[in-house]
Amino acid sequence: MTIPVSAADWIVINTELILVGTAMIVLLLDAFNRRISDRISPWITLVGVVGGLVSLGFLWGQEYTGFAGMLVIDSFSVLVKMAILFGTGLAVLLSVDYLRREELAQGEYYGLLLLSTVGMLLLTSSANLIMIFLSLEMLSIALYVLTGYARMRPRSQEAGMKYFLLGSFSAAILVYGVALIYGALGTVDLAGVAEALTAPGILSNPVLLAGAGLVLVGLGFKVAAVPFQMWTPDVYEGAPSPVTAFMSVSTKAAAFAALTRVLVFAFSDLSGVWMAVIWAIAALTMIFGNLVAIAQNNIKRMLAYSSIAHAGYILVAVASANQLGIQSIPFYLIAYTFMNIGAWAVVTVITRKGEEGVGLSDYTGLFWRNPLLAVSMGLFMFSLAGIPPTAGFTAKIYLFMAAVNANLIGLLIVAVVTTIISAYFYLRVTVIMFMHRPSEVSAVHVPIAAYVAIIIAVVATLWLFLFPNSTQAFTEAVWRMGL
Amino acid sequence: MEITGYNVAFIAIAAMTVTSAIFVVTLPNILRSALFLMFTFIGVAGLYVLANAEILAAMQLLIYVGAITVLILFAIVLTQQLMGARITQTSRNIVLGGVAAIAVFAFIATTFVSHFSKGSDMIAAQPAVPTSDPLLMIAKMLIQPYVLPFELASFILLVAMVGAIVIAKEDKD
Repeated sequence: MTIPVSAADWIVINTELILVGTAMIVLLLDAFNRRISDRISPWITLVGVVGGLVSLGFLWGQEYTGFAGMLVIDSFSVLVKMAILFGTGLAVLLSVDYLRREELAQGEYYGLLLLSTVGMLLLTSSANLIMIFLSLEMLSIALYVLTGYARMRPRSQEAGMKYFLLGSFSAAILVYGVALIYGALGTVDLAGVAEALTAPGILSNPVLLAGAGLVLVGLGFKVAAVPFQMWTPDVYEGAPSPVTAFMSVSTKAAAFAALTRVLVFAFSDLSGVWMAVIWAIAALTMIFGNLVAIAQNNIKRMLAYSSIAHAGYILVAVASANQLGIQSIPFYLIAYTFMNIGAWAVVTVITRKGEEGVGLSDYTGLFWRNPLLAVSMGLFMFSLAGIPPTAGFTAKIYLFMAAVNANLIGLLIVAVVTTIISAYFYLRVTVIMFMHRPSEVSAVHVPIAAYVAIIIAVVATLWLFLFPNSTQAFTEAVWRMGL
Repeated sequence: MEITGYNVAFIAIAAMTVTSAIFVVTLPNILRSALFLMFTFIGVAGLYVLANAEILAAMQLLIYVGAITVLILFAIVLTQQLMGARITQTSRNIVLGGVAAIAVFAFIATTFVSHFSKGSDMIAAQPAVPTSDPLLMIAKMLIQPYVLPFELASFILLVAMVGAIVIAKEDKD
């Protein structure tokens, strides 16, 4: 008996194969020669990530279905995968000097980072609830370990443990939901689910509703939407900064891709029910994230709450569920990847060994200590607040237009008001950096790799504002995604 | 419910499973909790047999009873100062947690009760189970339509192993 794997199957997973191969090289190299591995594994990882991006370039504009409908390649998944790989690549640049500064081992770190990325890429393409669960587990298990990677620092251990316990709990809820959906519809294939939902009378089936609700809880945990956000501040604060940078953008991108595929494409006939739920979750998430962020004096916690708030904004696009909304999701995810990793890059550089120096006061007069760093951070804060001339502004405009088109005026008002509130705490960082004089002017040492990451993020944040048309062709193709 | 051999067996096995599960999360001695966990796993295997899923039951016995429980027992025995320690299994959030747990349970239970009261049309027709050789069918499913999830599961195990080594290894240099 042969294992039937067709040419289309290989094409569908080629990006993942490149990264899995890179991960194997990194892990084996570390096992054979630690000294060499410490020196070159970040660069091997980067080569793999760039290779993945190139392979995505070849997939652009094409549509494939592989492995009996388990994985799909379409414009939506290709764009989200690009966001994920940009996130991984920038996180690698941040990690090189961070791991040296914190005296942490290099080899396994990059192996786990790559395998987590593979889980995210698969999640983005998954069109089957079993694949969604498995790829979610793969990315999560690697992230649990990476969160607790700084084993000598109790905060990192605590964050890893918390993330692990709550993460496994949410995974169990997700599996329960998948089981109930299978019980009600007899299929776990998303296209099959969409088809089964057209049967008369099926929409009021309580088993189906309970299943869909539990799946929503499981995915809501991964995107850190209120009320499933409790873990976020502690985990983002305790984890090594580059890991937080990576998971705050890439996990979010992958989980939102899965959420969109499940809700908008598989459960579209059930939209009368989930629309109201997503509406409420989006509004709560935006309000909670932005209001609590105001009270934070620790920059890592502030960015964690900001990350919760941004999940709320993306949920507005999901709730819109119209063409513009679905197009704006990949654009927002890409813009968010650059501006948020940029902000975390500055945080990584400013903190000292042992993750000291994360208070807002450590940013006092940063302009006099390192003007380039301060200007970049100011730009990222503007972008996160949605102020022009930045990518965050363009992304928010798309979102708001989608909400207007979908006639979600109430949600739009919440989004606009919370955006204005968020300007307060983002601009406060800018004010502290530029308006206050530092007590002592000591230069900030910035490693070259981190500089490269910050400059890439700055250029991309400006580019997406100045030339949104350059991505328009991309996002316009997204709506054509079929299931 | 009629009194048939099947129903009696089901109620007995279900009662054993649930009772042992309650002991697992309430006993102050972690070793006893682990032993009761074994009975829970055996009970679940029994439920699989009643549901005509003999192969799943065999897997359950081999993997959960045979391997996982033994692993847990090893971990307990080899961890210092864990053997005789009394462990409280409740936290200060017991009231809130209890309310949440009961609410979720009530929600799921009502769902199922309402399903059974309306008849079985709410559960979709299941794919026909071949009476001839279920093991062969599972094997074929695993390497044909489900080859990707199968391989992905092995990668998850790899990630877990690498992760366990990262967490547990000693710092030498």
